[in-house]
Amino acid sequence: MKLSSMGYLIKEGLRNIWNNRMMSLASIVVLVSCLIITGAAMLLSVNVSNLISNIGDDNQINVYLDYDLPDIEAIKLGSKISKIPNVEDCEFYSKDEGIKEFEEKLGDDIYQSMQGDDNPLGNVYKVRLSDLSEYKETIDQIKSLDGVMSISDRAAIARTLTKLNQFVTLVGSWVVAILAVVTLFIISNTIKMTMYSRRFEISIMKSVGATNAFVRIPFIIEAMTIGLISGLLASCVLISIYDPLRETASGMIALIGTSTIPLEKIWLPVLLTFSGIGIVIGILGGFISITKYLRKEGGEILGW
Amino acid sequence: MIHLQNVSKVYPNGTEALKNVSLDIEKGEFVFIVGPSGAGKSTFLKLLIHEEKATFGKITVNGFNLMKIRNGKVPYLRRTMGIVFQDFRLIDKMTVYDNIAFAMRAIGSSEKTIKRRVKYVIDLVGLTGKEKCRPNELSGGEQQRVSLARALVNKPEMIIADEPTGNIDPKMSFEIMKKLVEINRSGTTVIVVTHEHELVREFGGRIIIIKGGTIEKDDRMPTVYHNFDDDNSGEAKQ
Repeated sequence: MKLSSMGYLIKEGLRNIWNNRMMSLASIVVLVSCLIITGAAMLLSVNVSNLISNIGDDNQINVYLDYDLPDIEAIKLGSKISKIPNVEDCEFYSKDEGIKEFEEKLGDDIYQSMQGDDNPLGNVYKVRLSDLSEYKETIDQIKSLDGVMSISDRAAIARTLTKLNQFVTLVGSWVVAILAVVTLFIISNTIKMTMYSRRFEISIMKSVGATNAFVRIPFIIEAMTIGLISGLLASCVLISIYDPLRETASGMIALIGTSTIPLEKIWLPVLLTFSGIGIVIGILGGFISITKYLRKEGGEILGW
Repeated sequence: MIHLQNVSKVYPNGTEALKNVSLDIEKGEFVFIVGPSGAGKSTFLKLLIHEEKATFGKITVNGFNLMKIRNGKVPYLRRTMGIVFQDFRLIDKMTVYDNIAFAMRAIGSSEKTIKRRVKYVIDLVGLTGKEKCRPNELSGGEQQRVSLARALVNKPEMIIADEPTGNIDPKMSFEIMKKLVEINRSGTTVIVVTHEHELVREFGGRIIIIKGGTIEKDDRMPTVYHNFDDDNSGEAKQ
């Protein structure tokens, strides 16, 4: 195909979008919605995976002491914990320090009412392990000590999150699969509409000897452009809501703040991936409808 | 140029549109295909432009064996012919110029060539000055001349006109036929499908009568050019 023809065909494809603007707009809106839902599922899954791997790498655990454990016993317990071979560091973190962290969130009145014996929190030892491979044995040793109420078992959190991630991935895959079919249907319908409105031109093109590739290209350009615009818009929406959502989630669970992927690392892959997905969906959707249409001849094209 | 040997066409619903038809049309001939509605004229045309495939027999058109032609080659077969439709099939939103240029763009011609060639065929069909008009601003005869210009613009070896005068008044019909004869004089084969016997008698040439899917008569009459001058016989050169 000649270069001059390519320019003409691209122009025709873009003109189709404008001539068929209501249908193009409707397709873009539906495609953007589908891509945002898909993108949200993907970003959630990526972040949960990141969170799980961060938790796995974290070698600090919290040892919660019995509420009624006297201070002297607590100190003795601290030295017992320190003597466990795999314990690198053991730092006391009093319940007063604990409640102070919540001062702002609780408000002055409630905070004041939770002082001294009314403090619902317990004392904690923040224990850092030197070798994570002996995690379970060390936890068992600490648990067996008198005065230990519970341990923040991060492995359990990681297990829960892994299950959540598997769930998100499974549901996400279904959502993506269903939405892919929906978007293909939408885009192929748009192209079908354009082809129908241009059936006259198509029949003339075929009668004067235009090749199928020549007839096809403007419609592929149209579908591809709709896909690309939708992909770009969906990326912009996802990128703009990503940080506010991350902050909100961090406010609810402190762990999330440090374990999610920052926006700087994610915006470019999101933009490229979704633009690419948009283009691919566009080309596929376009091909499906055009190939069916191009098999028709003469009066069939015109619906006679 | 066109060779049909024992050609039959049976549609999926069982209708036998053509029965064992054999004929040859040579380069430069002017041929009328006549016959009543449902006689098989349209099927004959559809076979020539490969919109339909024959059920039996052998068809060769402009060097293409239509019984064996691959789908990818069909556009190249069609580039050897120009088709004029009864209902003109012009694109309303395009000007006269663009309607004609469209046929050249569709086969990938350069804009420079298009500009030169479109101007030439507009002159040839007598539409100079109407380049910027849209089809709905033209009379039926003028619209058919645009259709004729579009059929000619890619320099086909053969023009196939399907009831070209069906939608226009008698005076304009005569003008269109006159143009087709001029085109034929320049060496282009012209095949006109019509049921207007008066027009056929007026212009003469080879007349093939199709009835009930078979060729009833194949007569060669002298071509009659009365009522219009011969002075411009050279202008149809392409």
